Amino acid sequence: MSSKQTNLLQGTLDLLILKALGPGELHGLGISRRIEQITRGTFLVKPGSLFPALHRMEEAGWLSSFWGESENNRRAKFYRLTKAGKSQLQVETEQWTRVAVAMTNALTAT
Amino acid sequence: MMKLWSRIKSTARNLFHKQQVETQLDDEIRACVDMMTHERIAAGMSPSEARRTALAEFGGVEQVKQAVRGHRAGVALERLWQDVHYGLRQLWRNAGFTVTVILTLALSIGANTAIFSIVNALMLKSLPYPHPERMGTIYTRVTGVRSWDERHKVTYEQWALLRDNVPALTSAVSSSRTSGVNLEAGSHVQYLQAGRISAHYLDVLGIQPALGRNFSDVEDRSHGPNAAILSYSLWRNTFGSDPNVLGHAVLLKGAPYTIIGILPEGTSTPLNAGIYTALQLGPEGEGGGTNSEAITRLRDGATWQEADAEINRAWSHRAHRYELDDDPSAQVTYHSVPLQKGETATLRPQVLALMLAAGFILLIACANLAGLTLVRVLRRSPEFATRLALGASRWQIQKQLWIENLLLAFLGGMAGITVGFVALRGLLQLLPEHFLPVATVPLDGRVLAFTLFISLLTSVLFGMFPALAMRKFRLRSAIASHSATGGDPLHLRQALIVSEVALTVVLLAASGLLIRTLIHLQTLPAGFDPAGVIIAKASLDDEQYHNAATFRKLLSQSTSSMRQIPGVQSAAVGLSLPYERALLNGVTISDGRAAGQHGMTDEVYVTPDYFAALQIAVLTGRSFTDADGPDTQHVAIINQTFARKYFHGADAVGHYINNDTRIVGVVEDVPIAPGLDATAPLAGEETMYIPAAQADAQLLALVHVFFQPSWIVRAAAPVEGLTAQMQRALASADPNLPFSGFYNMRDLMAKTLAMQRVEVALLGTMAALALLLSTIGIFALVANIVAQKTREIGIRIALGSSIRQAMVHVGAPGVRASTLGLILGLILCAGALRAMRSALYGVGVYDVPTILTVMLVLASVTIIATVVPTLRIAGTNPASTLREE
Repeated sequence: MSSKQTNLLQGTLDLLILKALGPGELHGLGISRRIEQITRGTFLVKPGSLFPALHRMEEAGWLSSFWGESENNRRAKFYRLTKAGKSQLQVETEQWTRVAVAMTNALTAT
Repeated sequence: MMKLWSRIKSTARNLFHKQQVETQLDDEIRACVDMMTHERIAAGMSPSEARRTALAEFGGVEQVKQAVRGHRAGVALERLWQDVHYGLRQLWRNAGFTVTVILTLALSIGANTAIFSIVNALMLKSLPYPHPERMGTIYTRVTGVRSWDERHKVTYEQWALLRDNVPALTSAVSSSRTSGVNLEAGSHVQYLQAGRISAHYLDVLGIQPALGRNFSDVEDRSHGPNAAILSYSLWRNTFGSDPNVLGHAVLLKGAPYTIIGILPEGTSTPLNAGIYTALQLGPEGEGGGTNSEAITRLRDGATWQEADAEINRAWSHRAHRYELDDDPSAQVTYHSVPLQKGETATLRPQVLALMLAAGFILLIACANLAGLTLVRVLRRSPEFATRLALGASRWQIQKQLWIENLLLAFLGGMAGITVGFVALRGLLQLLPEHFLPVATVPLDGRVLAFTLFISLLTSVLFGMFPALAMRKFRLRSAIASHSATGGDPLHLRQALIVSEVALTVVLLAASGLLIRTLIHLQTLPAGFDPAGVIIAKASLDDEQYHNAATFRKLLSQSTSSMRQIPGVQSAAVGLSLPYERALLNGVTISDGRAAGQHGMTDEVYVTPDYFAALQIAVLTGRSFTDADGPDTQHVAIINQTFARKYFHGADAVGHYINNDTRIVGVVEDVPIAPGLDATAPLAGEETMYIPAAQADAQLLALVHVFFQPSWIVRAAAPVEGLTAQMQRALASADPNLPFSGFYNMRDLMAKTLAMQRVEVALLGTMAALALLLSTIGIFALVANIVAQKTREIGIRIALGSSIRQAMVHVGAPGVRASTLGLILGLILCAGALRAMRSALYGVGVYDVPTILTVMLVLASVTIIATVVPTLRIAGTNPASTLREE
């Protein structure tokens, strides 16, 4: 895998995590499942990518975490968006939309 | 902003609460795996199957954890810390190596720190006055038969023109140095150093008195009212910080002086005196000659170009242009020079030479350390091979090596600062008082920055070779054998030894020449007998001793009381002594072949016993007697140089000089600090002695401002309590006249040769240090060859080689390197030592005894450094060395 692709995927992964946490708090596995669901199975996020990303984003101040009870009464680490995370979601959404429209236009141009 | 803060917080947490962060990561991942397992059980899998597939989907718990750790904030810092930690452990495990390196660095960096702090204090640090860049002094540039460009002292005429006709500058003058005076305040009598300064002197320095005021123009006028300004320390120590002393009079030089000001705490002037009086320069007497130092401050809005133009205009139209005396066709111009440069000009070449020598020491140390670290890297080949085989990158190993070098340099630098501090204190102790024109030599930020810089520089210099060696590191051969870098490092190490020995030879030869110079000066034919002579000095810069009769009475009473002391053979007084600088005066030859010839001579007034007390031989004619009084025929005794110069070896006795003075004797030359032609620190020079009883009031008033006469006592054997008895004898003639100190002739010589002694001590220390480092270098080289070749030596001995042959075989590379270094060093000397010519007296630049001594010294240390490590071979047992591997 070339480094170019990694960067692209990493940027995408951040946006997907932010988006997945938009409605409310989730634990790691929940985030993974939710991304799978909202991308209709296109992206399967492996733990090896997910957890480093979560820790990195928490250190950047976009996410905050707390320990809570899962749906089947297990202790789990939950993540939610901070204020900075919410504005980051907005910024990245706008950026992505611009890129997506531009790319679509470019690829459909005759 | 927010993001940065969050990262700093996380970095701190990751570094300082590592355990907690790890436990939480553990818990989080276990919970995730548990949940995945649970999902599968809920979907109907067996628990063990569920766990297996969950783990498979998760993709390796440890890898995930490692991935998280790899992205943590502060991970680079943590890795660096791990490397440092590992490096420290390595250094700890090789304590011998580490101590050698740190000691070498401590000595070499310490030497550099000490010398640099002097360079810093003299040349880099600003003068401790406001706007030092606006302060200057004036250089005279003469182009003609003899060209020169230096600070020259000025006459009253020059000073008056400078003050009145150079509006671009605030100017002031002062005496060129302080002189000892007696201060009486109440019942307290004290001898201290007084400086004489003109009006506006303190304005030029930008110093405002803490109490009172500066000298006014009225007080500075010739024969103006007597006023004094106290230094802060004198005010505190003698006057108990009493502010009411202002306006009161103290008895200074036997006359009342009104205290008009007190300098602020912590201020110093270039004169650095205890008390200041007004210079009161006039066109006659002192002001008629070049006796004063000028300092200037650029006025607001003026430029140095304007100032220089004004000085040249003002000084070019003087009645007496003494600069043209020797060469009327010479071109004379004047220019301003920054005050700091003017004040330190005489010391600059010496200090820079020392800095160069210190630089040599650093290079020698680096060459040694490069050799040591190279060997150490080779010894660690197996370790690096293992690390490379386990997947470490070459960059990681390089990084590790550099980190260890930096650690060593850092530790060495810290030790170097300590050594430098101690060395600097010792050095300043060694210097005579007021030797440096600065009050303090601090170890300030700039010095510390310099030390840090050279520490980094050394680590780069000595780390470079091992790092280069690592690049050629071959994994395959390293694993196969125990040592394996491409190429033979022996040649590289030999080259390092050659260069350090070469530098050592230069330093040894340079200090050898200085030692020879000092020996030459110290063993000049004395012309008198210094053994058993005790000197005491007192200041006669005192109103009452301007009277010739009072002066005569003091001398005759005090010397006759001193002669009464049991054990004393003779007692006399003289204005100046051998080894000292003497009064310069004009002389005219009145008759004979040289009639009408005018020149300068040293002039010394003496009491009749002077030549007996010092045992200066009277060659022809007679000595002075008590019959040579103020009202009899004026007489003089001249020395041989004087007789040779003006009477060409013919008998001078009976001839007249200065119209009415009859020469009655000729005496042996004695070495003095020459004032006429200062080409050497000590030399014989034309001197004329006159009886103290015939010195007139005008001469007495003038000379005692500059000179403190000496009481000379000769005793056959040491006399118990002699100094106290001498003081009592003086007190019997004048109870308020303290001696400033007691000396022997050796002290006087040491004072005159202070510069040479300091040069020898400093450069000698550096040369010794260089020699020590080179010896260690050769020793390490040979010792290492012995260690590496144990097996080979074993085979050689087993095959019938004698132990001596084996020793020669192993020691040869050390001897070869040292010999090559010696040859290279001698070639370097041929060029480098010529720069020393101006510091050498009585010895040539290419001095055979010096060079032979250097070769001999180097040969001996080379032999010791190669033989000692090879002695181990003698104890080698071939059988056991062959079994070893």
